[in-house]
Order: sequence, then C-alpha cells, then structure tokens
Amino acid sequence: MLQNVHASYLMLCYLGSIFYLLVFRGNIILGGGASARALMFRSNNIVARIFERQIRTPPPGTSVHCARRFYENLVPSYTIYDVECPDHLFRKFTDDGQYLICFSRNHQELIVYRPTWLSFSCTEEDCDVHDLPPKAKKFDSFFTQLYCVSLASSNELICKDFFLYMESNRFGLFATSTAQIHDAPAVGGAIQGVPSIEKITFHLLRLEDGVVLDEKVFNDDFVNLAHNMGVFLYDDLLAIVSLRYQTVHILQIRDSGNLVDVRAIGAFCREDDELFLNSNAPSMGIRDKSKQHQLTENHVENGLQQSRLSPENAFVSGIKQRLLSFIFRGIWNEETNHTLRVQYLKKKFYFHFQDYIDLIIWKVQFLDRHHLLIKFGSVDGAVSRTTDHHPAFFAVYNMETTDIVAFYQNNADELYLLFEHFCDHFHTTSKNSLYMNFISSHSNNIHTREQLRSLRNKATSSSQFVKKMLASLPINSQALSPSPYFDQSLYRFDEKLISAADRHRQSTDHPIKFILRRPPQTLRFKIKPGPEGGNIDNRTKKISSFLFHPFLPFALSIQQTLFLQPSAVNVHFRR
Amino acid sequence: MGSVLGDWPSYDPHNFSQLRPSDPSTPSKMTPTTYQPTHNRTLPPPDQVITTETKNILLRHIYQRAEEKLRPKRAAPEHLLPEHGCKQLRASVQDTPC
Repeated sequence: MLQNVHASYLMLCYLGSIFYLLVFRGNIILGGGASARALMFRSNNIVARIFERQIRTPPPGTSVHCARRFYENLVPSYTIYDVECPDHLFRKFTDDGQYLICFSRNHQELIVYRPTWLSFSCTEEDCDVHDLPPKAKKFDSFFTQLYCVSLASSNELICKDFFLYMESNRFGLFATSTAQIHDAPAVGGAIQGVPSIEKITFHLLRLEDGVVLDEKVFNDDFVNLAHNMGVFLYDDLLAIVSLRYQTVHILQIRDSGNLVDVRAIGAFCREDDELFLNSNAPSMGIRDKSKQHQLTENHVENGLQQSRLSPENAFVSGIKQRLLSFIFRGIWNEETNHTLRVQYLKKKFYFHFQDYIDLIIWKVQFLDRHHLLIKFGSVDGAVSRTTDHHPAFFAVYNMETTDIVAFYQNNADELYLLFEHFCDHFHTTSKNSLYMNFISSHSNNIHTREQLRSLRNKATSSSQFVKKMLASLPINSQALSPSPYFDQSLYRFDEKLISAADRHRQSTDHPIKFILRRPPQTLRFKIKPGPEGGNIDNRTKKISSFLFHPFLPFALSIQQTLFLQPSAVNVHFRR
Repeated sequence: MGSVLGDWPSYDPHNFSQLRPSDPSTPSKMTPTTYQPTHNRTLPPPDQVITTETKNILLRHIYQRAEEKLRPKRAAPEHLLPEHGCKQLRASVQDTPC
C-alpha cells in the first residue's frame, strides 16, 4: 500500500513538473519577443519556412504575400536550350495556367496545349548529378496538345496579338480579320482618315474542347486589335471600340456562350434614342452623318449652300452632345457674373468649338460595370503609333445615366493624382481573379512606387511627365502577366529586358538576372533566351519574348530574328 | 473565487481569476466576466442597414470633384475652412515627409 502511494505521489510530482514547465516555459516562447523571434526564425531555407508556416499564422491580411515568398525558393533555374518544338507562334498562358495558346505560322489555326510537367523517375542514389534523359528535353514532355481549330477562312488571318480570356467560364476570345484598306472613303457615317477592314470577326471559344460558341462580325469597320487595344474585358462585359463609326459596342458574354449586344454608345446614348429622334424630327438627316461632316468643312456639295446653323449640321447627338454640354456647364458654373461668364465661354469654349467637335473616341476601358473611361483625340492620332504630339482628353462616362462625370486634358494634374493614388482601380479586375490584386503597380508595391518617385524627380517638365504617365491610360486589358517572378517585392530585374507586359524586346546575349529583394539579396536565377552558346550571327537584330506560367516555376523564352526563320525556344523550369 | 483548476501553479496568480461560473449550479462552466449596458443611448437605429458602397474609391473621388465643380461658386466665400466631411486631395504633386 505504501508503495502505491509512493508511486502515485511520484506520478503527481512528475506530471506537475511537466505542467509547470509547459506553462512557465511556454509563456516565454509564446509571449513577447516577437521581433527577436522573427529574426531568429526567418530563414531562407525552404524546410525552415514550411515549419514556420505550420506553427505561425501570418500577420492579418498578408497570408497571400507570405505564401508568395515561397517563390524565392522555387525558381526556374534549369534551362533546356533550343527545344525541338512545333513551329507555332506562342501567344501566352491563360491566367489560370490551364492552357497555352498558340497560333499556326500561317495565322489561320489555333492550337491549344495543356501545360503538364515532366514525369520520369530516377532510381539511383544521387539523382541530381544525372542530366535529364533526352526524352525529357522535348516540348511534348511539358505540353500535351488538346486540339487544333481552324478559325480563319481563306482570306482572313488571325490577329496574333489579340487574345482575351474569361476565366470564370474558361472562354477565349479571338479575332480574325481581312486585309486593311487604307484611304477608305468615308461613307455611311464613317469618319475620314481611319482605315477600313472588310470583315472583322470575334470568335468566342470554349477552351476545354475548342468549340466555337459564338461569333460577332463587324463589316467595313476598324477595330484596333493589336495588344487588345480596342477591346476591353471586364468580368463578362466587353467594350469594343469601332473607330470608323465612332461607336463603343458593349456586349455581354453569357454563361451559355452567347455574345449579347447590350448597348452601342456613340451616335446614340440610350437604346431608344434613335427611335425618339426619328419619330420627332423626320426632316433632320441625322442618318447621313457624312453630309453633316462635309458641310461643317464648308464644302459646297450638290449646290447646297447652307449656312452653318442649318439643322442638318448643327445637330450633334449622342456622346458628343453629352461631352459638349458637360464642358459648357463646367465653364458656365465657374463664374456667377454674367458678362464674365460669356467672356469665359467665348475664350474657352467657342474658340475651341471646332476642335471639340472634331474629337473622336480613341480608346475605352471600364472603371466599373457602369462607368467607362474614354480617351478622346484627333483623327490623326487615332491610328498612329506615337500619340505624344496629339492633344488628348479623358472623360468618365456613366452608361446608366448617360452622363459625363468628368473631363480632363491629358496633362491634368488632377487625373494624374488619381492615377498615382488609385492605380489599382484603373487596372480593373473582375471579382473572380484574385491574383490580379498582386500584380505590382505603384499603388500596391513600395519598390514600384520608389521607381515612380525617382522618375518624377528626374523629370524636367512636370506637364510632360504627367502626359507621359497618362499616356498609358486607358490600360490594355489582360496585358500583364500575374507570375510571382515579376513581383517587385520578391525580385529585382532589368525592366528593359524583361517585364510583366508581354511585349517583344530587344534580345541580348547576356542572361537576364533575377535578384532577390530581401536579404541576402543574391542572384536567384537567370533567364537566357537564345541558344546556349550565344548567337553565332550577331549582326541580325533579334527580339525575344517571354511566357511565364502564372503560378508554376516554368517559363518559355522565344527568340526570333526578323526574317521568318524558326524561333529558338528555351524552356526554363525548376528541375 | 475558486477556479476549476484549483491551486495549481501558474506564472501569474491572477491569470484565471477573471473567469466566473456562468451558472452557480454548474461551477465548471467558466465564462469571462461580461458587462451589460444600463442605457440604450448607443443603440443603432432599428432600421439601420450597413452595406458596402458600390462605387469604388476612385469613382467616389471623381464624383466628389465633379460635384464641387458644378456647384456654382459663391462671390465671397463665407467659410474659409473646408466643410465637414469634405476630404481634399493634396493639391501639389510633392512628397510629404513620412
């Protein structure tokens, strides 16, 4: 009996001491000294980081940022040079990483691949020493072809720079067009100076199986298709800018795959405007806008010598009317004194009236489901590449109330301040794509912000700087890659050689270095386009483009010469 | 108040003293002490519904600016200070030291 008591007493003492140790010592570990602990435990070793992830929750709101730090450990450091691959034009990975979109060289077919990963096994002791088996070094081991669909008929070509992806339904939007006709006559409401394309077709495809769900055709029209400039996708709404007829077509992509017309903003703002105007003013030839345009230039046509105030040419309708009345009201409200008002109106409005009338819509983007940011400019600047010398204006238009809410010139400080503070709201995203919130911009990343600040301090003229920054508005839809390797808080790299925007760049022989931002700030991996030994022929200009997978440590670098030779494709991945 | 853990050692003797049995008949059910308000002056109005503003902050700023411009200016401003609730953006493109 004494033994039992003794044993149980010992047991109690033992348990008590354990408990005491846990609570007493535990308090030291769990309690204070968070910063000391962070220094102690913030290791760059991946195993240490995984352990850290198991036992500690990240500070509130930073769970995605903490998870992205693992991309410092998993990097595409291994390169397979000059992979044997089919001779296609590689366009991009879809933003959810499910498909690789390619076009055939003759611009008539669409080929979609699914990115997979290598699968081979090595049963020896030390596998890292061995090189990859030759079977692995092929394009087919990384991609499986899903289908090949012919989109363009005989005289049409797929626009290789155009692709929009609707992630929620996995639909892809492609465009085919016939040849451009410059110097097209301005008939049927078209404006002079804009080229014409006989037929532009937008194809909506279900990317899972390549079935064409719907098509939208524009005849004798012009839409700027390069780099998605004339089309903006927001959630399920599409805004297509018809430059030739000065109309913004709003379409909705339904879940069933139908492209449904919602409205057409341009000559008419509301759906029933045309009916109203036609029923109330049958004598006004508003359908014949070309006549209106010619009359304002004081041409004498068919013996008509009407004054500028005749109804046919004084009637401005649609969005132009909204814009002019907004400018008028703004100037009117600046001053209460009537004579001053009239003076200001003369100086600021009527003096520039013809310039305002001649403004055309250049580009459009959605700010939310009801608001559009429209860029207006002169006819000459609509299709030219450099728009610096042409005056441009921005207007915010509410589609529901058909009101213009704001109007700025392209060197307006006010608009630049809004752009600087709320840049992310210009890069409008749908609710479904969370990854878009993490693409580095100067509103969400301190390093990009510092770059912007230094640019601003270096700028000689404030108004030129503002013009240059606002020239990027309205932004192109889906132009930036969401890959975490372009995250400025993780990596530093040369922006001139590579960046999140999918444009072609000058190719160099030197590899492009990706250096860590955080300590130890070492070089983590390099991307080298072109063949391994460098290029033999250094005289011909080479351009390279990079396709990064949105979340896997995988990238393709494609180097092309300008003479239609087959391109050299390198695969960069984590081995 | 006797805690359910008895007199077991603890780093801070006051650690578990805030717990009170919520119901005297079951002393093992411990809840932290709570306080009930004695007045209802701070109650929200009964028909109050809290929702997120649908316009994002960029559009809110644009609309605010538009309203300021469209309001006809007074000949002599009566208030030199900005009105309540009227936030102003920094007018100059300059850094403010943090």
